[in-house]
Amino acid sequence: MSNLTISVFEAVGGGLCVASGDGEKVYKRLSKALTKALEDGHQVVISFRNVELLTSAFLNSAIGQLYGQYSEADIRRALQVKDLQEEDIRLLKRVVENAKFYYENPQRYNRTHKQVREEYS
Amino acid sequence: MYNESMEFLLPSIRHDFTGFNALANLCQQTKHCSFEDIKIDLQSADWFDADMCAVLGAICHRLSEEVNNVSLLNLSPKISGVLSRNGFLRHFGKEKVADQFGTAIAYRRFQTADEGLFARYVEEELVDRDEIPQMSKKLAARFMQSIYEIFNNAVLHSRTEHGIFSCGQFYPTRKRISFLVADLGIGIHQCVRENTDLRLSPVEAIDWATKEHNTTKASTPGGLGLPLLTEFADLNGGKIRIVSDSGYWARVGKKTFARPLNAVFSGAVVYLEINTEDNSKYVLESEG
Repeated sequence: MSNLTISVFEAVGGGLCVASGDGEKVYKRLSKALTKALEDGHQVVISFRNVELLTSAFLNSAIGQLYGQYSEADIRRALQVKDLQEEDIRLLKRVVENAKFYYENPQRYNRTHKQVREEYS
Repeated sequence: MYNESMEFLLPSIRHDFTGFNALANLCQQTKHCSFEDIKIDLQSADWFDADMCAVLGAICHRLSEEVNNVSLLNLSPKISGVLSRNGFLRHFGKEKVADQFGTAIAYRRFQTADEGLFARYVEEELVDRDEIPQMSKKLAARFMQSIYEIFNNAVLHSRTEHGIFSCGQFYPTRKRISFLVADLGIGIHQCVRENTDLRLSPVEAIDWATKEHNTTKASTPGGLGLPLLTEFADLNGGKIRIVSDSGYWARVGKKTFARPLNAVFSGAVVYLEINTEDNSKYVLESEG
């Protein structure tokens, strides 16, 4: 099998990629495709062609979740992002950093609690 | 059928601490009302900010769901005009009045599954309209993105059974657009309390939710929506106000103002105001 391309526009059914539920649709496809690609040594291309608007909520569901399922190294090796506008690339980077923090810090609530109390004391 | 008549006097309602406080008081005082005749009297009000219809509408809708008879009394012609042009008074049996100024952004109620309908509403009210000022492409995109982030927050966290309410207003002279989303869900304070081991006050809970990486989502990453909104408001010279439970939190001029309300709003409200004339110098951190 050659590299597989997943069209975000097609998965969502339009260019308005703002809802978390729509991100979930993309995640399901990506998840299946990545598992297979990692077995076969291929790549998955996620194309944002014709996407008009993105939110962090959408990207959290579509891509952020992958960091709870696959290692960063596997994602880097098997997933290629295409056709993303420059400002959306920055948003995606932010989402990815946030997702890595989320999965790497299961005790984050305790730490944040301390920070909040310190700010208000 | 109705047990008794209850009357509530509302002062002028602006989208500020005093206005939110007054509506939180109405929300709290009517929380357990059922089968009652509730009269909301605006005789001492000389103004009602149109976007605040989403908050009043949320409270009135909940009261109607609890089988109360809700009526608005003594609206001045000015207030009546504002609340008619955005369609709010249609919920009280009045006709919608033509918006001759082209400044109203319709009052609407959505269910959490209505993401498609909400998108169409945003298109109709904020994109496909000549009266809305030309904004730079990036500013317009970031404004839309922010509105969807706010709506998504309500969908993902509120657990509301009564819906999500939105309204806005365009202020051509001040070159501003305001947009407000209210829900009658569990609120930020309870959401943080139920999903984390934090024990924060309602004001602290809102502040916590606006910080990057802080999320109550148990299985998927989150916690970027409100920080992105704050950054956007800071860069644009806009304003954010968040109300939930008895917490009031505002971001104006890159400064945070937070204090408790003297009553509880059962749900959450996010108000966003943007500067539409921020054309030439508009550069986001993410675009720098």
